[in-house]
Amino acid sequence: MLLQKMPAVKGDGMRGLAVFISDIRNCKSKEAELKRINKELANIRSKFKGDKTLDGYQKKKYVCKLLFIFLLGNDIDFGHMEAVNLLSSNKYTEKQIGYLFISVLIEQQSDLMKLIVQGIRNDLTSRNPVHVNLALQCISNMGSREMVEAFCTDLPKLLVSGETIDFVKQSAALCILKLFRNSPDSFQPGEYASRIVHLLNDSHMGVVTSAASLIEALSKKWPEEYKGAVPLAISRLSRIVTATYTDLQDYTYYFVPAPWLCVKLLRLLQNYPPPDDPSNKARLLECLEGILNKAQDAPKSKKVQHSNAKNAVLFEAIALIIHMDSEPQLLVRACNQLGTFLSHRETNLRYLALESMCLLATSEFSHDAVKKHQETIINSLKTERDVSVRQRAVDLLYAMCDRSNANQIVAEMLTYLETADYSIREEMVLKVAILAEKYATDYTWYVDVILKLIRIAGDYVSEEVWYRVIQIVVNREDVQGYAAKTVFEALQRPACHENMVKVGGYILGEFGNFIAGDERSTAKIQFELLHSKFHLCSITTRCLLLTTYIKFCNLFPEVKPLVQQVFQTDHNLRNPDAELQQRSIEYLQMAKLASGDVLATILEVMPAFPEKESSLLAKLKKSKPQLEEIEREEKEKRAKPSAVMSEGSTSLVDFDSSSDNTATLADVFGNSSAPGLTLNSDEVEIANKADISKFVTKSNAILWEDDYIQVGCKLETRNNLGRLGMFYGNKTSQPFNKFTPIITCPGALAVQLQAQAKPVEPLVAAGTQVQQLINFVCVQEFQKMPIMNIKFTFTDRAGAIQNFDKNFYLPLFISKFFEPTNMTSEQFFNRWKSLGAASQEAQKIFAAQSPMETATIETKLKGFGANLLTEVDPNPDNYVCAGIIHTQTQQIGTLIRLEPNKQAKMYRLTIRSSKDTVVQTLVDLLGNQF
Amino acid sequence: MIKAILVINNHGKPRLLKFYQHYSEEMQQQIVRETFQLVSKRDDNVCNFLEGGTLIDGNDYRLIYRHYATLYFIFCVDSSESELGILDLIQVFVETLDRCFENVCELDLIFHVDRVHHILGEIVMGGMVLETNMNEILQRIQEQDKIQKQEAGITAAPARAVSAVKNMNISQQLKDIKLPDLPSLSNLKNAF
Repeated sequence: MLLQKMPAVKGDGMRGLAVFISDIRNCKSKEAELKRINKELANIRSKFKGDKTLDGYQKKKYVCKLLFIFLLGNDIDFGHMEAVNLLSSNKYTEKQIGYLFISVLIEQQSDLMKLIVQGIRNDLTSRNPVHVNLALQCISNMGSREMVEAFCTDLPKLLVSGETIDFVKQSAALCILKLFRNSPDSFQPGEYASRIVHLLNDSHMGVVTSAASLIEALSKKWPEEYKGAVPLAISRLSRIVTATYTDLQDYTYYFVPAPWLCVKLLRLLQNYPPPDDPSNKARLLECLEGILNKAQDAPKSKKVQHSNAKNAVLFEAIALIIHMDSEPQLLVRACNQLGTFLSHRETNLRYLALESMCLLATSEFSHDAVKKHQETIINSLKTERDVSVRQRAVDLLYAMCDRSNANQIVAEMLTYLETADYSIREEMVLKVAILAEKYATDYTWYVDVILKLIRIAGDYVSEEVWYRVIQIVVNREDVQGYAAKTVFEALQRPACHENMVKVGGYILGEFGNFIAGDERSTAKIQFELLHSKFHLCSITTRCLLLTTYIKFCNLFPEVKPLVQQVFQTDHNLRNPDAELQQRSIEYLQMAKLASGDVLATILEVMPAFPEKESSLLAKLKKSKPQLEEIEREEKEKRAKPSAVMSEGSTSLVDFDSSSDNTATLADVFGNSSAPGLTLNSDEVEIANKADISKFVTKSNAILWEDDYIQVGCKLETRNNLGRLGMFYGNKTSQPFNKFTPIITCPGALAVQLQAQAKPVEPLVAAGTQVQQLINFVCVQEFQKMPIMNIKFTFTDRAGAIQNFDKNFYLPLFISKFFEPTNMTSEQFFNRWKSLGAASQEAQKIFAAQSPMETATIETKLKGFGANLLTEVDPNPDNYVCAGIIHTQTQQIGTLIRLEPNKQAKMYRLTIRSSKDTVVQTLVDLLGNQF
Repeated sequence: MIKAILVINNHGKPRLLKFYQHYSEEMQQQIVRETFQLVSKRDDNVCNFLEGGTLIDGNDYRLIYRHYATLYFIFCVDSSESELGILDLIQVFVETLDRCFENVCELDLIFHVDRVHHILGEIVMGGMVLETNMNEILQRIQEQDKIQKQEAGITAAPARAVSAVKNMNISQQLKDIKLPDLPSLSNLKNAF
């Protein structure tokens, strides 16, 4: 195919065109070609100008010539009018060529736009569907502002009209999509939503495919209006996936049924959370499993097209599984499937597998599964011949890096950096720097990594990277001596990058005194070492070194004369660079005139830098916008890096709440164990403190009851959202007045849990009940409970008016945001083992407070929220549960194991979770329930 | 969403350019040169995806290409498209060309630029995938051909008669690609 062979000049071939093209191709030189082109342009121009009787055929021929000339790289500045004229021709062939010229050559700001729009409008209303289609093609090819304004109301009508024939519908859907992409605000969400959604049921597969593309885009903007598409997409998908390929006739591509449509539907479903409706969900899971199963089947054809199409669907299905992030089993299967692709002989698959794994690595469930492939991934970094694939491997290593493997990954990346392609070095340097900082448990390691970075890829170390290492060294006393020693050694190497001189200059200027005691690195040796590099450096580095020197004057008075000599040289004192000259003069005077005390004050060690997000991340995001998303998700899903640079509090959130002084102080004093249920910082008296814990294992109960009022509550939660129904019953024969329930989230809870209460009427009539709904959003894990203050006035039995004013805990515990998860025994214990770190486990051994009956225990565990797993623990007496705690910022996988000892009437409760701050809270909650 | 479709031959000459986003003529030519630089230095057994160049411009676009004998077919697409799907789409495009031109070759793309554009227009519209089913695409093309023939039959008969005569041996002459200078058709018409 596509071998050099004769062009078949068809019957209608435009001979003039063929001849012209042949002429051009025969031109021996660029000049000759240009000459021939200019000759032709002049000819066409004169024809267009002079010959009014040009027929359609001739115009078409000239337009084709112009297109050819344009393709060769010559600007065409005429012929537009003729093209517009062709467009209004009644003949299809002329119209077609007119449209072609316009869509290739006309700029959006053209003066002719009005005429063009008019022409398109005429064709859109034409009875001839072929003309309508030409118009639609032109609109979407141009997609300009004018087009949006002119057609944004007509097109949706055309799309949903019953009279429109299939292939026009197909074009109309895409045409709307294009205009919508270019100007989303010009469209209204609701009007045609349900009719557009129903195009997914169309009998014509082409229409369904176009509609799926359109709905995919619209539902991103208006998820509510288009959510009806979810069940339809699932059922359509299910029909395709379960169909044998003969059912779809023409839309089967190399034995794969409608691959493009499947891809679109799977994309569309990624705009929504997993379906709530159990039958839909089951159907979707069946599809996804079906697609994964098909990947195992023997190929139906050896052609690459067959495997391409099949895998296109597979990758999209995996993307959906990752998006749903709720089916551990599927996630692990997806990961295994990608794992097999990692060593596939087809390079494209290796590339895509690495890319998809990047997303998997950020999921709670599959992070560990991805780590199993670490060796393969490192290997592809080393051996892969294709730089695009290596780049993906770098991205994946970056995404899968955590505390446990940071050392190895950073080391591998450093090794690779020495031979890496120039195009990706800067990004790699950034990534290594970020990982080293994020997962540093030992800052000497961090300093080593960064210095090594500068050594092997100095040119690619941007300012942000070396600024950052200095910030960290300045802020952390424990590493300063080590840093001074290490930079000193690095500077001694024969070849030394300028960035190393900068870092070395800065660090020695601040902390050179730490190593000056060693006779191998006395002040004089340090100074001479730095100064030996001075003349090789750029002006900015020299300026920095001058500052180091003056700092030396303060640190080591004995080198002062040497330093003064340097300042005094003509080369510095009269340097044409103003900054350098000024520093020399000022520092010289300072060294000469200022007393030791003054120098010591001016040249004191730099104060610690204010803490903020690493500037490196910002830089990386800027250079790779698509990373931001991954980065964000990653942040949400994983615990904060251990190396938080500020001392003290583990969570910055605590500082946000000034009202909660005790808690803040407790944090500052390093009271790191998570506060339990009753924190002594509650300033108010809580009326239901004693029995609030009964709500730990149930959702509906009476919160408070006395002679006058009964307060009931009922809690429903889904993911990280909760809805609490409060019922206030007036038990007296007189109304309650000024009834005001106020909810507060004290202290840090204000940030962790958002509460929004619907207002209630201030009057509760005698013997009636009012209801109030409170919505909660669990933003992050929390320990305390929100407090409800209820105030009202009532009439007591004696007829006196009384005030009621009490505070109540509301039964909102972190455990309420559990989503039960199912696991097999193997999965459970694998996961259990992987959560082995001491901080991830909390345990409590306690005596039974109530009879140890299986049914009661099970009810309570189920009520706690996690899924009670049967036949998982090898010991049938034990109870194990698994669940995910949903917060807005992350999902926290949690495993629970309760081991009763009936003889001793004791329990041992162990909870493991990916988030260390949660385990203690959960143990405290559950530990007093049995 | 497809941002651009380029067909470039092994020597870097563009054979088809279709941009779905506006670029000046100068920019278009620069993109062609740059993109050719990128793809031409790649081995045939490396992957078909790459990033870089003006077209990508730091955004979530990537180039997906296939190399057939003398031509590179390069699609520049954003992340809303499936990579393998686009790879298949290129195949559909080429197979369709092959059917329409009966064993397509580079010269067909040169001499029938309008027709190639029309075929592409049936597959990709405004940067979005319109139709993937080859039979459907071919049917549309045939309908167009039919209309063309009908229209040509009525009005262009005289011109067609001329070109029919002139065409009798043109294919013979075209065989050794170096074409002799023929008088251009418009000159001939004047003579009549």
